[in-house]
Amino acid sequence: MSPLIPSEEELHAYVDERLDSERRRAVERYLAANPEQAARVEGWRIDARHLRAASSGLAGRAPNPRLDPAAIRRELRRKRQRRWVNAAVLLVTLGIGGVGGWQVRESSLLASNPPMADAVQAHRLFAGASALDLSARDPARLQAWLGEHFKHVGNLPDFSVYGFTPVGARLLSNEQGPAALLVFEDAQGQRVSLFLRSPGERYGRMPSGERIDGQLQARYWSQGDYNYALISAASDSRGATLRNALGVAL
Amino acid sequence: MNDLDDDQLREMLERLRRFALWLTREASSADDLVQATVERALTHRGQQREDGSLRAWLFSILYRQFIDGKRRERRHARWLAWFGRGEEAGNATEDIVLAESGLAAFARLPTEQRALLLLISVEGLSYKEAAQALQVPIGTVMSRLSRARTALRELAEGNTPPPALRRLK
Repeated sequence: MSPLIPSEEELHAYVDERLDSERRRAVERYLAANPEQAARVEGWRIDARHLRAASSGLAGRAPNPRLDPAAIRRELRRKRQRRWVNAAVLLVTLGIGGVGGWQVRESSLLASNPPMADAVQAHRLFAGASALDLSARDPARLQAWLGEHFKHVGNLPDFSVYGFTPVGARLLSNEQGPAALLVFEDAQGQRVSLFLRSPGERYGRMPSGERIDGQLQARYWSQGDYNYALISAASDSRGATLRNALGVAL
Repeated sequence: MNDLDDDQLREMLERLRRFALWLTREASSADDLVQATVERALTHRGQQREDGSLRAWLFSILYRQFIDGKRRERRHARWLAWFGRGEEAGNATEDIVLAESGLAAFARLPTEQRALLLLISVEGLSYKEAAQALQVPIGTVMSRLSRARTALRELAEGNTPPPALRRLK
């Protein structure tokens, strides 16, 4: 920086009184010798003075109480609390909606898909008909057929004790996988069916239970690798006995 | 985190209001701007740099908020135009302050130059503080200051016709 000719920056710093005393005197000497530059600098000074004068006219305004830091802190706290409350309300609402919705879903799924509905359906379609894959009056043949298709199944109990003899069996399949329907009949021609299949994705393992579907009663349970259902006439009291016998034997 | 106490803020309040008024030229939006500034200062006090001055930091928050608000306004105006509403708003509240002060020339300067002149000449910030407040390098402060003073002088002396499209009350 030349000691003789101050830079543009120095001229501004001179106006703004940012120079040390030595440089300030140097600039003053330079301006005294350069009236044109002195006029420029004086113009800047005048403008700055006007600006300050105009600003001081603004200073006398009444204070605005809402701008006080204490008031703003209070307002911020209130906003924060409101946000928390809103968030909590939202969470509770979502929670109620979610849990409630899930329960409705569960119960409507159950209503539209009662356990082992396919067993009841299979019994309706095939137990009365002669369209069975296997006609077997001999319990041993039935057992052998069953073992061929379902490797892990246990031994069938002796149905004759309860007055039933085998009629036959049919291999079925639905979206849940392969299934079998074994049909038995008593002396009066009253039929019961044993239905079994691998656990499906909807009812992997199911709790034991029973329900009445029209004229039919289904007793169902999970055992070993399979889900079972015993279908009998709703009025047939031997259903419960057979169910117990199967539970022990299979 | 350095704690910001209310008295420090309170001392700065009138200066912030004045600066905001120069920028917005409208008393109630100026106070809105100051309120937003104090809120932000209170909630973001950890952001103040250890070596920076408090006032430079506060001015920088205010200026940033003002610029962001302007940008939103422009976007809003574009949306209105898009929906056929046109720019009817214009500068209706412009220059209440300036008309009184007889500093109409100052109003014609770009915002960044006005802000700088106010911080330096009125608020007495150092160049370094002004650079912090406007978030530009100090070199930019110097060159902008030079341009601003030259422009203001020319406008004040009536050497330069006002830019053709600028509407003044």
